[in-house]
Amino acid sequence: MSRYSPPDFACRLFQTVLPVPFRGALLGDLIEEYNLRAEATSPSAATRWFWGQACRSIPFIMGSSLRNGDWLISVSTAVGVYAVMGTLKLAADFMIAKLFAPEPTAFVVLAPIVFLAFTSIGGCAAARIRFGTAVFLALFVMITVAVQIIAKTCTIPVPWWYEFGFLTLGPLTVLLTPVAFGALKPNSNES
Amino acid sequence: MKQGELLGSLEHIILLALVRLDGCAHGMIVRREIEERTGRNISIGAVYATLERLEAKGYVSSSTGDPTPERGGRAKRLFRVEAAGKRALQISEQTLHSMTADSKGRWETI
Repeated sequence: MSRYSPPDFACRLFQTVLPVPFRGALLGDLIEEYNLRAEATSPSAATRWFWGQACRSIPFIMGSSLRNGDWLISVSTAVGVYAVMGTLKLAADFMIAKLFAPEPTAFVVLAPIVFLAFTSIGGCAAARIRFGTAVFLALFVMITVAVQIIAKTCTIPVPWWYEFGFLTLGPLTVLLTPVAFGALKPNSNES
Repeated sequence: MKQGELLGSLEHIILLALVRLDGCAHGMIVRREIEERTGRNISIGAVYATLERLEAKGYVSSSTGDPTPERGGRAKRLFRVEAAGKRALQISEQTLHSMTADSKGRWETI
């Protein structure tokens, strides 16, 4: 067993993003090379190398998944998760508006909390099915927020950064929450 | 290999690397071989994505090795060049050779 260990977040990110056929072997290769580099150079240089490899590899792996037709299953499941998430979010917004926040100011404060809670849960649920689903879900969330901003559906006057926050943090929460909490598809360590 | 279909540049290099490594190796060894011989620092993801493509075409096959502690308990995936892969290499080499024959001097003078 090596006394060095690669960056945990990079491993989780990689493990979440990689489709099952790639996962075990590719991550094992990276860890093996990381240990060799940490011995030969320094752990910090090996960590930089590991992050570089992880970031440069993701587009190729995603491209390979798309070519294999995995995207169709991912889009279908993302539509399902989005529909469930959207319905629950609408119900939650309605409840807040009716029960807790008759004042617009309170709604402006509570709306982002509810939004981020739902994007986190939706992201974890999607990644639990497959990571491609979370990627498409993030895209759907971004499009929905962008449409709402353009259509000016918010009747309460809010600063630009408030809406921009929804546009950026929403998709990021969908993608990063499952990575941070390790909410992966079961049997994720299979090679 | 279909008529007129050629190997992509990375496919060609990876197949050549596998042949150099006695026809069987795992992804990181292939990546290292290419880096050492060509100086190209390609990502491991690019190597695996290309190997998957080559496997789908029947040019390579893969098998799973035993998990080892230095790999975080993960198994190696060993790739082997198949006869179709060797044939594809031959065709690509012949095509390149026939295209470069008698024309080398032309680009060297540019």
